[in-house]
Order: sequence, then C-alpha cells, then structure tokens
Amino acid sequence: MRKTLLAVLLALPLAAQERVTLIRNATILTITNGTIENGSVLIRGSKIAAVGRDVAAPANARVIDGSGRFVMPGIIDTHSHTAVDGSVNEISLPNTGMVRIADALTGDDISVYRQLAGGTTTALILHGSANAIGGQSQIAKWKWGRPVSEWLVTDAPRTIKFALGENPKSSNFVPPPGQPKQYPATRMGVEEVIRKSFIDARDYLAQREEYEAKQKRGEAAIPPRRDLLMETMADILAGRIDIHAHCYRADEIVMLLNLADELGFKVRELQHVLEGYKVAPEIAAHGAGAGTFIDWWGYKAEAYDATPYNVALLTRNGVLTSVNSDSDELARHLNHDAAKAMKYGGLTEEEALRTCTINPARQLRLDHRIGSIEVGKDADLAIWSGHPLSTYARVETTFIEGEVYFDRQQDLERRETLRREKEERLKKEEAKK
Amino acid sequence: MRSRCYAAVLLLLAAPLVLADAPGVYAITGGTVHPVSGAAIPNGVVVIRGGLIEAVGANASIPADASVIDVKGAHVYPGLIDAQTSLGFTAAAKDAGEPTPDTLALRTVKLSDDDMDARRRTGVTTIVTAPTAGIFNGQSAVLNLGRGPIEARVIKSPAALQIAFNPRPTWTWPDSLMGVMAYLRQTFLDAQQYVAARELYERSPGGLQRPQENPGLDALRPVLRRELPVVFIADSDTMMRRAQSLARELGVRPILSGARQGYVAPAQWDDVPMLVSVKWPVAPDDKEDREDQPLRVIRDRQLAPTTPAVFAKNGVTFALVSGAAKSGAFFAGIRKAIENGLSAEDALRATTLTPARIFGVDRQLGTLERGKIANVVVSDKPLFDKDAKVTRVFVDGREIRLPAEEAKKDADKKTDATAAAASAIDGTWNLTVRAPQGSESIQVTLRAESGRLTGTFSGDRGSGDIRTGTFDGTAFDFAISVNAQNEAEASDWAFRGTLDGDTMNGTVSTTLGSFAFSGSRSK
Amino acid sequence: MKRTVLMLLCASTVFAQSTIPNSPGVKATVAIRNARIVPVTSAPIERGTIVLANGVIAAVGANVEIPAGATVIDGTGLSVYPGMIDSGTNVGLIEIDAIGATVDTSELGDFNPNAQAAVAINPHSELVPVTRVNGVTHVVSTPEGGIISGQSALIQLTGWTPPQMVVKSPAAMHIRFPRLRGAPIVEIPQEEEAETNRRKNYTKELDRLRDVFRDAQAYAKASGARVRRFDRDLLLEALVPVVEGRVPVVMHANQARDIRAALAFADEFKLKVILAGAQDAARVVDDLKKRAVPVILGPILSLPQREDDPYDILFTNAKLLHDNGIRFSIQTADAHNSRNLPYHAASCAAFGLPKEEALKAVTIYPAEIWDVADRMGSLEVGKVANVIVTDGDPLEIRTTVSRVFIGGEEMPMDSRHTLLYRKFANRPK
Repeated sequence: MRKTLLAVLLALPLAAQERVTLIRNATILTITNGTIENGSVLIRGSKIAAVGRDVAAPANARVIDGSGRFVMPGIIDTHSHTAVDGSVNEISLPNTGMVRIADALTGDDISVYRQLAGGTTTALILHGSANAIGGQSQIAKWKWGRPVSEWLVTDAPRTIKFALGENPKSSNFVPPPGQPKQYPATRMGVEEVIRKSFIDARDYLAQREEYEAKQKRGEAAIPPRRDLLMETMADILAGRIDIHAHCYRADEIVMLLNLADELGFKVRELQHVLEGYKVAPEIAAHGAGAGTFIDWWGYKAEAYDATPYNVALLTRNGVLTSVNSDSDELARHLNHDAAKAMKYGGLTEEEALRTCTINPARQLRLDHRIGSIEVGKDADLAIWSGHPLSTYARVETTFIEGEVYFDRQQDLERRETLRREKEERLKKEEAKK
Repeated sequence: MRSRCYAAVLLLLAAPLVLADAPGVYAITGGTVHPVSGAAIPNGVVVIRGGLIEAVGANASIPADASVIDVKGAHVYPGLIDAQTSLGFTAAAKDAGEPTPDTLALRTVKLSDDDMDARRRTGVTTIVTAPTAGIFNGQSAVLNLGRGPIEARVIKSPAALQIAFNPRPTWTWPDSLMGVMAYLRQTFLDAQQYVAARELYERSPGGLQRPQENPGLDALRPVLRRELPVVFIADSDTMMRRAQSLARELGVRPILSGARQGYVAPAQWDDVPMLVSVKWPVAPDDKEDREDQPLRVIRDRQLAPTTPAVFAKNGVTFALVSGAAKSGAFFAGIRKAIENGLSAEDALRATTLTPARIFGVDRQLGTLERGKIANVVVSDKPLFDKDAKVTRVFVDGREIRLPAEEAKKDADKKTDATAAAASAIDGTWNLTVRAPQGSESIQVTLRAESGRLTGTFSGDRGSGDIRTGTFDGTAFDFAISVNAQNEAEASDWAFRGTLDGDTMNGTVSTTLGSFAFSGSRSK
Repeated sequence: MKRTVLMLLCASTVFAQSTIPNSPGVKATVAIRNARIVPVTSAPIERGTIVLANGVIAAVGANVEIPAGATVIDGTGLSVYPGMIDSGTNVGLIEIDAIGATVDTSELGDFNPNAQAAVAINPHSELVPVTRVNGVTHVVSTPEGGIISGQSALIQLTGWTPPQMVVKSPAAMHIRFPRLRGAPIVEIPQEEEAETNRRKNYTKELDRLRDVFRDAQAYAKASGARVRRFDRDLLLEALVPVVEGRVPVVMHANQARDIRAALAFADEFKLKVILAGAQDAARVVDDLKKRAVPVILGPILSLPQREDDPYDILFTNAKLLHDNGIRFSIQTADAHNSRNLPYHAASCAAFGLPKEEALKAVTIYPAEIWDVADRMGSLEVGKVANVIVTDGDPLEIRTTVSRVFIGGEEMPMDSRHTLLYRKFANRPK
C-alpha cells in the first residue's frame, strides 16, 4: 500500500521548487539495512527517495560525489538544553509540569550551528533537573537560520522531564539566605512528590467529572478551576505525554519504575541512568529506554559508580539505549560516544551507530521519520570525511529534510564574508564618532 | 489599604488648590504652528483658554483678554507624549512589594519637579507611566506633567495593564522565562474561571459555594473583555513574537513596548501597536571589545534605529518612547531614528497623535485643535533639529517655566565651588507689581541653594512660602499663591526676572494677565 | 555534627582507597616482538622488537636480540607506543567534584606560589587506574584558583606514595593571568558602574601581581647575597626559582588581550614562560613566534569562546602552531576524563594537523616542554620504559590498549570501571 502510494508520488511531476539531490559513490551507513559500499542516496524535497547501489541521477538533480565519504543519518540527541532563553530550570516548586520549554526557545544560539557541524540534526530539548517533575520538553530539528517556529517537530509526542536523586532533593543547590530549603530533601521525598502529584491529578479529574455530571443534570455548579499543572499530570496518566526521567542511582531507578507500575504510567526514557547497568533487567522489564553520556563520572556522589560499560550492559540486557549529550559541547561529537560503546563492552559497529541514530529516534517515537537512511524517511543526513566512528572523521555536509544546514566549504567561504562585514560595520561606526 | 486612605485625604486637601491654580488666557503668535492634524501654519496663532485650545490658525483672532506671547521665528507643537516611562516610581518603590494586576500606578506615582522639568525640557507634556517591578507591573496612567496634585493631572487611568516577562528571584515562582509564560497562562485562566464563578454566584447565590473575593483577578475583567489593552515589554524579535502569540492565546489586546528588533519582520505586526523605545543599543568604548562582539550584536545595534522607519514604511502603528533612557536622550534617540530614515513628520506623529490613539486619549490630546487640552510646546528650531531648544511649555493651559538647564548646571558648579556661600539673590526684597488696577506691594525673602530658590512672601495679597523656584546667578523665577476676594480668584503669580546687583526686574504672570514688576533689596 | 563526621568517615573509606593494586613492583625483563613499533621520534618499525629491562628501554629495532630470561610477548597484530602525557590535569587532587572534602585543587586567596600539588596527590585515587589503562601514563597535576595557583607536578600514574609518583616537582608555577573579562563581551552591561568596577579590579589585580613579583625579585637578590635571614617568607621564597628563570611559569590565558598582557608581564620579569589554554592563538601567533613560547593547547574538545569564532577554531589551533613552528602539547584540563587525551589530539588531526604530529603532541612534545625528554616521551634506548601496547592507533577510540608499562613495571589493566563492569555483567537476573 505504502509502496504504491510512493510510486504514485514519484510519478507526479516535480513541484517547481522541489529540490533533488543525489549523493553517490559513498559508503552509506543505513543503520537499519546495513552498509552499502559505493552507494547512493537520492533526496527529493524533504524525503529520502532512493537508497542503493544503482540509483540513476534524475536530470535536474544536484549531484554530490561522495567518493571516500560516509553518509549516515543525522545524529539525534535526546538530552539537550540548547537554544533555551534564560534558565532551563523553573526551580521554584517541586513540580513545575505546567511550564513548557517551547515557550522559551531562541533562534540565536550558535550552539545549534556547531552541532550541525558535528552531524547532529534533531534534539530533545529538556527542562532542567532541579525538581522531581520539571517542565514539558520539546523535540526540535536544528534548522539554523529558519524561524524557531519551524524547528519544532509538531507531530512529535509531547514530553516531560522528571528528575530523581541529588538535584531534585537540592543536594547541590543552596537557597538564598533567609529562604528555607525546598521540599524534598531526600529520595524518599522525591518519591512522595511524584506520587502525590499523580494522586492529586486523579482527584482533579474526579472533580471535573463531578462538575460535568452536575451540569448534565442541570444543577447549578461553580466550574472548577482549570489547573495547567494538574492537566499535565492527567495527560501523563492518559499516555499523552512521554516521561524522560533524569536518574543516577539504582535504587531511584527501581523506585520510579515501581511507582509507574503501581500508578499506571510509563517511563519512556531514563536519562543519564549512570547506574542503569546495575538494574538493567528491571529497566528492560518495564520497557523503558536509556539515554546516557558514556564516560562522564565522578563529578558528584551519585556519579561515582558510573562506568562507560553502562551502554553495553544495558544493550545486552535488551534495553533500548542511546548516547546523548546534556552538553552543547558533547552534542557536537556524539559519534565519539557511540565509538566508545564499542571500546567499552564491545558493541558491534552497527550497534554502536544505532546508539546515536535509530535508538534515540525510537525513544522519541519518531523512528518512522528519522534515525535511519530509508526510502520515505526525512532526508536528515550527514556526509562525513571518514567513518563516523573514527576520531579523525569530520562532517562535510549536514542535511535536514533535504536542505543543507551546514556545509564545510560554504562555512570556510562565509567566514571571510562575515569578517569583512564586521570590519565594514565597525569602520562605519568609527567614522560617525 | 493605608495608601488608599492617604490618597483620599490628599484629594480632599488638594481640592481647593486645584481651583486656585486656574489656567489663563494666552495667544501664542508669530511662530510656525505644527498642529499634526494638518499642514504647518507659518505665522500662526494658538489661542488657549481655560486649559483648552480655543483656536488655531493663521487668522485666529486674538481675544482681548489674552496674554499675547510672541514667539516669532519659533515653532509651536502639541505637547509630546512619552508613552512608556516609569517616571515617579523609584527603586524604593520596590520595597512596597511586587505590583499585582490591580495595582494602579496612579496610587503610588510620585513626580518630582526635577523629573518633570527634565521631561518638559524635551517637549514632553504627557507621560504614560507604570512601575517596572514584577510580572504584572500594574495598570499604567496617562498623566499631564502640569501643576497641582496628581489627581488633577490624570488624563486616563487605568490606561493599560502592563506586563513584563521578568522572572522572579530564584526559588520564587516563577523564576524562569518559561515559568513566567506558564504563570501568565494560569493567571488568565484563573481570571476567566473567577469571572464565570462570580457571575454564576451573583445570579443565584443560593445553594452554591461562595467564590472567594480576589481583587487581582477581578482587575483582569476589562482585560479579558478587551476593553483594557495590555502593554507587553518585549525588545527582541523572539520576545515580541512570544508576546504576540501569548496575547492571541489569552485573547487580550496587545501593545508591544520596546520593539527594538521590529525591523526584522515588520509584516508580523500589522495589527499590534508598537511603543518603540529610542534607547538604542550602544557600542562598547573599547576597540578590542567592539571587535570581540558578535556580528549579530553589531548588526542589531546598527539596524535597531531603522525600526521606526521600517514601521512607517510598512504601515505599522507605532509611537516613539523614551524607554528607560535618561530624559535628555529622548531627542537624541528620535534624531537617530530620523537619521535612519524616519521623516520628521512621522517622528512628530509618533510622539503626539499616535500614542494618544494607542491609549485612547486622542480626543483630548495629540494635536493642536480646538477643544483639545492645551498642552503646547514652543521650540526655537524645528523640534527634532540638532540643538533645538524647547523654550516654552504649556500644560493644561498653564505656562510652566523651564529652569534653564545650562544656567542651572553653572549654578550647581558655582555652589559646589563656594560650598554654602551666600547667593547674590539671598535676602529680603521689596517688589512692586504694576497691575492695571494699581500697584501692589509684596515683600519676599529669598534664599538660593544649588540653583533652587526658596523663601517667604508677605504683602497686599497675603503671606506664605514661595513655591520653589530657580536661580542661575542672574535669571530667576518663583511663584506665590495669592489671596483674592473669593476662592475662585485665588491663583498663582509666577515671577520671572533678572537680578542686577541690588535691583531686579521682570514680569509676573497671573490669571488676570502679565504685568511688569521691579524690586529693590531691603536694607 | 555527628552526621557530618559519619559522612566524612564514610567518604574517606569509600573514596580514598582504590580497589586496584597500584603495581606489583616488578621490573622484569620484557620483550615484545613481532609488533609494529612507533618510537615517535623515528620512523615506525613495521615488525620489530622492544626490550624493557631494569625499568628502561634496553633495545628497539627490527632486529633485536631478546635477552635470555626475558618474558616474551608476541606482538603480532599489536602496536607499541610510548605512554601518553597529559600536560594539564587535576588527577590526584580530586575525587568527586561536588564533594568539597575530596577536592584539593584550589587554595584560598589569590597568591599561593608555595602550594605544591606534589604533596597532595592521592596515589590511591580511583582516577589513577582509570586514566592509565587507556595509555595515559603521565600527567601534569595542576593547582587551580586565585592568581598564582601554585606549583604543578609531573607524575607517573603509579606508586604507593606521592614521592614515588612524582617525576618532577615543581613542573611549573601556574598563574591564572588576571582577566579584564571572564569571557569576551557580547552585549555591553546595563550598569555603567559595574564596568568601571571591573576595570578598577583588573588594574588592581595586575598591580598586585606585579608587586608580588617585584618583592620576589628583591627577595631573590637578598637571598643571593647570602644575607642571614630571620624573616623568611615562604611565599616569596617559592617564587625565587621563578624570577631567576629556573622554573617555568605557565600562564593560563585564552583571550588575545590577556595572552598579550601575560607575555608582556613575562618579558618584564624575564620569566621562562609557557602559555596554556591559548584559545586565541590565531590572534597572537606572531607574538608567540617571536618569543618562541611553547603552548599547551586544550581542552581541544571544548566550545569556542565567541559566537563568531569558527566552529573548528580549537581543532585548528594545533595546525596553526605547527605551521608556524611553535612548540605545543595538549592538555585535557580534566581529571576524570584525562583518559580521553588521545581523542583531543585526534580532533586536531581531523582538522589538518598531520597525524604524527597529533601523536607527538601527547608524547615527545610534552616531554620536551616539561624538560624531561631525556627520560621519556618516545621509545628510545635508555629512556624510562613507559610503554603501551595497543591493537592500533591509540588516538582512535576503537583501539584497545592491552598493556601498560610504567618505569618498566607492567600495570594491572583493571580500574573501578572494569571491576564494576565485571561485577554486574555477572549479576543473576
């Protein structure tokens, strides 16, 4: 059915502005269908139109010679705080589920461009981890230069940040003088906050139902207050919002999974999850994914038992695992972290590549659109100078939905243009003085 | 609550004074009149009576009872409106706690003579003012910079609800930008629910739980009904878009204030009035710093002053406002907009009629037309020319003397140098006012300090303290409130003159007209 | 109070003792044969033998006789490299960043020339084996904070006591050169007063630093005259070898303005200077060349300072220095991930630095800059046997380091991380 539709689409005359690009003679790391030596990828408009050894160049196609180059899907970072205006934390309350990262995005953050230069195309922009339940997060594509409203992946699932351990219990924050410490101060309290929030949400729903019943019966009733926080909690219970939970220690991971089972919600992805390897079977049983930076450790007490073998152990236990950054810097070379998954614990090359492509795509429930090089998927790709798992490789060109958002040659040329513009503008100012 | 009582007491006390300070009759002649509502009138006449404009035109007849003010060669304009200020709200006001939606700027505003003089010197006779603290800054007021108690200066209150995207201090909800957005959303939802609940309860109080009284939410009723607009403080393109989409979501009527990056996407703003701050970004002093700055920032500071011209070209409704700039920078800021493509006519409109329209006071203000409030300024050159100086200012039909700025500075210097040395004007003076109905004698005792004149008076018209005046070493001015046969005739006599050793000469303006006076030092 | 004590006790038992033995203390005679040997200072030997004996390299070559009694390791398919040297870390001075009790990097106050890293290295830190099993055998452990931060020590990552670990102390005196701005300006501050204060403070800091050095010069002169002193000043005493040019000063500076000021300061006091950080190297390359200042670049895997800086500026600085004949080495400026030193170097190679140069930047070049090239940094006969065995290029992440020798002793290849891995790989489900 799908294929037929695609054939029909392909048969249609090209829309006037639909761009066609063919990358050929490259090594194609499809992720889901192996590696194609001397392969081609055909991009039509925003989608991948063909992948394989023998793809003919349509007459109007821009042809890129990929000899010696590698093509891989755009890297997907499920832990980003890039492009947020102001604080990524609304710290003031133990549960701030009513706030939305989408409200505070900015198109000015140069880190976005730098990440494109590292082959990263999609990110889950998360609220911080200062509270047990943080704000609603946002999945975006790094369409640098376009208005931020176009960055949002609008058909992506809604997401929210939870956080366990040292941060929500304020171990590493001190309130200003005169202000009391904020509840909770223990992992017990963190559990309590999350439990209470869900119980409150059920009460909230019951109250609304009662009001609606009264109205149906024609009885006068004061409408209950609409509470954005409670509506968020109710949406989580209804499965309309995916939980991405910051966590470190084995005990807190198990706590959240058990609480989820008890109260009837699902944890989509455990974030950081540095001790995930200790409870990998439990994580696998719940069906939660795991996203982690691979070798950071020892920066705080709950990171002291971190080990770079985490990804391998989780993967071997059947947990859907990705490498992610939590850092504007690391987000530029998540390919390094993928390579480390081979070094530490011996994942295969394909397994390693999956940790920054299709696995995060699945964690974001966007694997029908991104994460691999397949016909019909978004043309989010990067062309690398060498194998992306090599430390000597660098990105030459990055595409999102068929458009070039980074190109090294263009970048080198543009440096001079920008330098000149700056010089001229400053000179103009000088002259006016 | 306490401040409310206090305001009421003030109102009672002030009432007689308002009447006492009645405006006079003036004919401003000889200047080029710029009515804004129409073409400039060379050698035009503006007649002012009873606080209102009585006539404007080339051939307007000069009433017999008018004090004629010949401003030959000068330019006459409607008083400017600075539609975004926080004038009258000092940092100390923050101690009063964060404003709420029901905070009326009018209740706490405190305008000092210095503040007002500084504005008047730039031709501003009307301001829109509100506190800057908090998220809900409160409800702003349109105020004339005239004399008398605050209640006598109000043109409109509330003028708008003002909202700034200011996160609160860390650990206080909301302490982030995204938190502020959620907070605003929730507050407006609460207001809707509040209104619905109260209306329901008021219709049938029986059998229903009584909704709590909440003045803050109650104050949002006119905002939800789109009667009261909301001024959102938003400077960057991103922030402006955020404010716009939030306003749409909340169903409120937005005005954007700041709007530095309006040049980015002018088409976005065809239905949003703009208050463009002319406090343009500046370059760092240090050359290495300038080179270190991102091109983005350099571009922005060079393009920001094109925003008014871009708006004018694209038909965006906009006013020019001083923003947080020091008062003196208002003209400089406007001039920069003109250098960047805005016509002087558009600049004038953006500081008179347009702000009056944005705040719904264009029937009273914004042009020189019969029946409008007599806020009139005279400048020696076209208003926004370099070195143009505002020479006379009328507010609500009363002339307000401008302390000479340069002279005042000199006087400051002098007093600084000689510490508390006696000023030349210090002492007791016998003044004779040559009024048509006969001479009147008044004795004044004056003392000048740092250019400010204080003292007492006594004579035919009663006695009391003089109203604070100025002295620059030669020229001086001060006013006294004189008695009359009845309360209605009581009024201010404004003295203005020059000192020459042990004698002084000048004119005194009264409701009955202007007369000459002379004085000699009492030995 | 009780709780604090208890916590401290727990902390000390948990954190202070590595689970990994430091070294067996055996300096056996070892021969690795049939391996690809990369001496760094000479061409790689595709199939050769290296002999380690008495803690030094006894022989390297294609045709080397293996001494009788030597433990012979078959190096078929393996490569041999010198141990890598990280030119700037906090290894040994820090265990867990967020727990102040385990951090010994920054002394109070602005001037601590007498603070010595060498006396505070924890030989049993978990970071030591974590770092060395990836082939980083030596690090320069560096104090931080204040203006004069203290004296660094070049240490080998094995030993039962700090003195056993120290190869050279002081390696250098470290100065975080006063900065007008913490970072290049973006938008100018709203408050004029803040800017005035900033400039005042900056000038004051420079003046204070200058005063300290003048005092140290005077102190050195007096000491040189063998005047009998009753007023020894340990702070100034620590600076004597510095002002006399016997101990180098590492100036930590990244912005061009600060680098120039630091170099001018070094000129003024005739200091033997090394520049560290140097993110703006491209803007001051002529100054560096003129003075022949060695540069410690890094961290390479770090973000450019300015929005407008090329995205790859920190990757290309190494090539720039190389092209201009300026000596350089690489630091991670990290502690827990000093093990990633080779990947910092590789990132320079990805952006134009020849691969051999990237390798040198973590082996022979740091040895030269730290003035220990007579002892280490390459595989040459007579040098200390700091040797690693790999299955490929150590600058590639996918390469596995299989053996590490420091001073001829073969290191255990376990670390906290491998032990945790093994423990939980065997967890019953």
